Amino acid sequence: MTARARAYGGPALGAIVLLAIAAGAMALAGANPIDGFAALVHGALGGTDQICETLVQTTALLFPSLAVAFAFRAGLFNIGAEGQLVMGGLCAGLVGAALAVPGWIAIPAILIAGAFGGAAWGGIAGALRARFGGNEVIATLMLNIIAGLLANYLVVGPLHAPDATGAETSELPASSWLPLLIPDTRLSIALVLGIALAAFLAFVFRSTVFGYELRAAGDAPEVARRAGINLPRTAFVAMTLSGAIAGFGGATIVAGVLHRFDVELSPGYGFIAIAVALVGGLDPLWIVLASFVFGILQSGSLSMQAFAHVPKDVVTFVEGLAILALATRRFVAPRTAAS
Amino acid sequence: MESFSGFLALALVKATPLIFAALAGTICERAGILNIALEGALTVAAFAAVAVSFATGSPLLGLLAAVLASMLLCALLGIAATRFGVDQIVAGTGLNLLAAGGTAFALVVIFGQPGASPEVHALGDGGERALIVCAFACALVLQLVLDRTPWGLRVRACGENPRALLSAGVDPRRLRVVATLVGGALAGLGGAFLSLGELDIYSDGMTSGRGFIALAAVIFGRWMPLGAAGAAIAFGALSALQFVLQRAGVPSELMQSLPYLAALAALTGIVGRARAPAADGVSLD
Amino acid sequence: MNVALALQGVSKIYPGGVRAVEDVDLDLFAGEIHALCGENGAGKSTLAQIAAGKLAPSSGTVTGAERVGLVHQHFELVDRLRVWENVVLGREPRRGLRVDVAAARERVRSLATAYGLDVDPDAIVETLPVGIAQRVEILRELARDPRVLVLDEPTAVLAPVEIDTLFATLRALAARGTAILVITHKLGEVVAHAERVTVMRAGRVVLRSLVRDTSAGEIARAMVGGALPTIAEREPTPTVAAFAARGVAAGEGAHALRDATFDVRGGEIVGIAGVEGNGQVALADAIAGIVPYTGTMSLRERPLDGLDAADRIAAGLRTIPQDRQREALVLDWSITDNVALGDQARAPMRRGIAVDRGAARTLATQIVERFDVRTPSIRARVGALSGGNQQKVVVGRALAHAPAFVVAFQPTRGIDVGAAALVQSRLIEARNAGAAVLLVSFELDEVLALSDRILVLYRGAVAGSFERDDFDRARIGALMAGA
Repeated sequence: MTARARAYGGPALGAIVLLAIAAGAMALAGANPIDGFAALVHGALGGTDQICETLVQTTALLFPSLAVAFAFRAGLFNIGAEGQLVMGGLCAGLVGAALAVPGWIAIPAILIAGAFGGAAWGGIAGALRARFGGNEVIATLMLNIIAGLLANYLVVGPLHAPDATGAETSELPASSWLPLLIPDTRLSIALVLGIALAAFLAFVFRSTVFGYELRAAGDAPEVARRAGINLPRTAFVAMTLSGAIAGFGGATIVAGVLHRFDVELSPGYGFIAIAVALVGGLDPLWIVLASFVFGILQSGSLSMQAFAHVPKDVVTFVEGLAILALATRRFVAPRTAAS
Repeated sequence: MESFSGFLALALVKATPLIFAALAGTICERAGILNIALEGALTVAAFAAVAVSFATGSPLLGLLAAVLASMLLCALLGIAATRFGVDQIVAGTGLNLLAAGGTAFALVVIFGQPGASPEVHALGDGGERALIVCAFACALVLQLVLDRTPWGLRVRACGENPRALLSAGVDPRRLRVVATLVGGALAGLGGAFLSLGELDIYSDGMTSGRGFIALAAVIFGRWMPLGAAGAAIAFGALSALQFVLQRAGVPSELMQSLPYLAALAALTGIVGRARAPAADGVSLD
Repeated sequence: MNVALALQGVSKIYPGGVRAVEDVDLDLFAGEIHALCGENGAGKSTLAQIAAGKLAPSSGTVTGAERVGLVHQHFELVDRLRVWENVVLGREPRRGLRVDVAAARERVRSLATAYGLDVDPDAIVETLPVGIAQRVEILRELARDPRVLVLDEPTAVLAPVEIDTLFATLRALAARGTAILVITHKLGEVVAHAERVTVMRAGRVVLRSLVRDTSAGEIARAMVGGALPTIAEREPTPTVAAFAARGVAAGEGAHALRDATFDVRGGEIVGIAGVEGNGQVALADAIAGIVPYTGTMSLRERPLDGLDAADRIAAGLRTIPQDRQREALVLDWSITDNVALGDQARAPMRRGIAVDRGAARTLATQIVERFDVRTPSIRARVGALSGGNQQKVVVGRALAHAPAFVVAFQPTRGIDVGAAALVQSRLIEARNAGAAVLLVSFELDEVLALSDRILVLYRGAVAGSFERDDFDRARIGALMAGA
């Protein structure tokens, strides 16, 4: 067997095993696996509307995945993309509902507000790490839950929209909605923004001094320190920017899809993003593709549930399994020293 | 609950699953495994307890199933981390997703309805009390085991310097896996208490972050079983307090977020610069 | 004489073709101290691991004692545990379900008395000075009652007096029938204490003899394999004030720097002689700007205090760190990417917001040529290079751009003789060109060979100063030990 076959054989075998497990689960649910997969694929790609919806899910996953990968490259575990996404969406929803200005001012303001919300959330973890050496895994995990509680409190309580049916803010004025790529769908220009961001991040990593220093801090912190790179500052900046990216993503969900902030805006995108980042090998451009694959799973799962009667949670289950399987390829250098 | 003793009882009930989870987290971290899959372990345990009780009518068998399910999940973490070179945090995240998806899936497949199971035979008041006592007993036993037994010494060595253990002729990989099994068993008891002790059903998301609060308790308890249990009791009291204060108009979300805010504060070293085990979360070469 | 351990035809070949050990035969006799000598990289440590059963050979056999103790060069102790806990780890005496603490303490005490290794069983290891901590490591191995004891460079961290104590202990052990294998590259120790010597070079045995049948000179020639490579000539140079340290203190505990006051002039090499663990690391880190310190430092009249690592590099200060794999090179990156480290924030490596790849490639090519780095290309992953070639990249990078002040910390650690000579030559050339060079080395011979002036560092302070004409090995050694 050639080395190349072995290199591709591993993940191919892994993919087959995952498919087999998914099929088994479908069978357990009393459904024919063929029907299950067919419903999933058809539900994701079966027509223009379906594809657009898949791309909506792709976009929702793309931003937090880029955020997670960005932090990973800097040697940090951002398990808090979910919370940062929520905070970004919250800020975007609040700003959007409150602003009564023309769209060309409102939309950037909303997106920037989202980035700030996520940045602040990531920055807290970053500051704890930079200033006190606090473990950012614990910090981001805690912040996830605090974000959910805070959003819940604000949106059910003081900031509850009088016209809202659930835990959500007032609807954004139509002029503040993100322009659609394809009319009568939910697919907005957020997808284009996401791909542009991925290209930009790829450029940053490959060519810029900032990206160089970030990679050094992630790949060899002791070496980076002696090369004059300020590790605490890099950690703080990386966590903040990572949070900003995730927050921006939350803002695009609010401004582009839901047109309001809803506490349920994310079915765990921030966690699935970890799988996407790993599948994408922490490379921004491959992550675009990986987001699409996972987007298919997300949007197809609803069809699979509706038409083949397979609970959509089997997708989450398989995603978790995928993380376990993929991480053996050491995409993320394991921590080898307490920093 | 109208009286102080009522408050105390509620605090104990709220604390018990946290104590078990915190003990699980402690033993894992002392051995060098940062177990962020405790949330998933509690979830599968709570679910397994109800599912088996439903199938067999016996809450005791449900308890056993909970322990086994949790041990299996935590062992997966241990094995993935020690034998397959998977980073502990990444593996933990994967297992949490797996647990969340798997239990929601099984909920529909077994019970035919999403969201919550029907009521099942629970442990009853006697069983509930027994588990509460068991939690305290486990805290004490774990502290003694860690401090005084040979295995406890090896665990402590493993969490600080696994190479030293290797030099001494003990396999740190196997020890870490055993530690995750022990942790899994403890978390299993906690999860079973959630669904069969305090209540008599399983509902989606009922663990609501307890697995993460447990990690905070470990930090507060300075990686000692008695300390972590103490912190868990404090968090349980906070949880009980939430009900009281809610009537006074204090938002429940504020109370609920206190343990997490406290954990963030602990990261600043305000509770004193207790050092985590040096090899905590560090993979073996 | 009975053979306690026999290695026959032992080889160790790593994937990638590195032949660490090739076809080695070695017999260890009970009651003998056997020295295993060689330059860094000769394969001694690998052989020791194979002898101790910690590493499986690719071919060959190891027969004899099952119980072989191994005392590592870098101790494998659990710092936060007590001495007795470390010693009995893995073989804890029990009383029921618990550890029998009294028995454990007693075991430590009786071993300590039997072998003259005084240590407090209840002390926490991280509070112990290095020489005492080594005793704990030795006791741990002795607790298993080994028939063979292997010690890997045990005297690297000891002062001369402690070295004598150690060998007295080993002599006592040998008298009780244990076979002892000491890995060392210090000829003085071999001649003074060992009965038998085996010399390795490039993985093979090149000399096998009773010590009384050979000489230090013959052993040295066997280790080096012929004529010693020449080092560049030093030229007299005008000296200009360059680096000054006044009262610098950094770090805490046994290895702290307490008071460093000295000058290094342009055009001179000042060597810091001292046993490992006397503050060298704190000194190097403080100069590099990566740890906080008190006191003042200046470079060419310009104060350095308050400047971080990046500013110091910009001011003309370059470091050759002690551990090239963990502190100097990103092993997964190419040579090109590595040579930009340290300069990435300034021209010429930086152009606007981007890294100037062309400048990096140019520098990489220059370094490969000037330092004779054996590599297929500058795009090769640095981790794939041999230790000597990696070190050449590190040194080449440090000496590019004509630095004002170079701190060379163990610049020839663990590399072959040819690479070491080249590195040392380039350092002298930098000195000739006017750079101020601070050489920190645990190899007294290297310090003696390269320095214009020697300062002895003992317990974090300068204990003595010697000009080149007054270099006196005995006096320097005495100061290193605190006499």
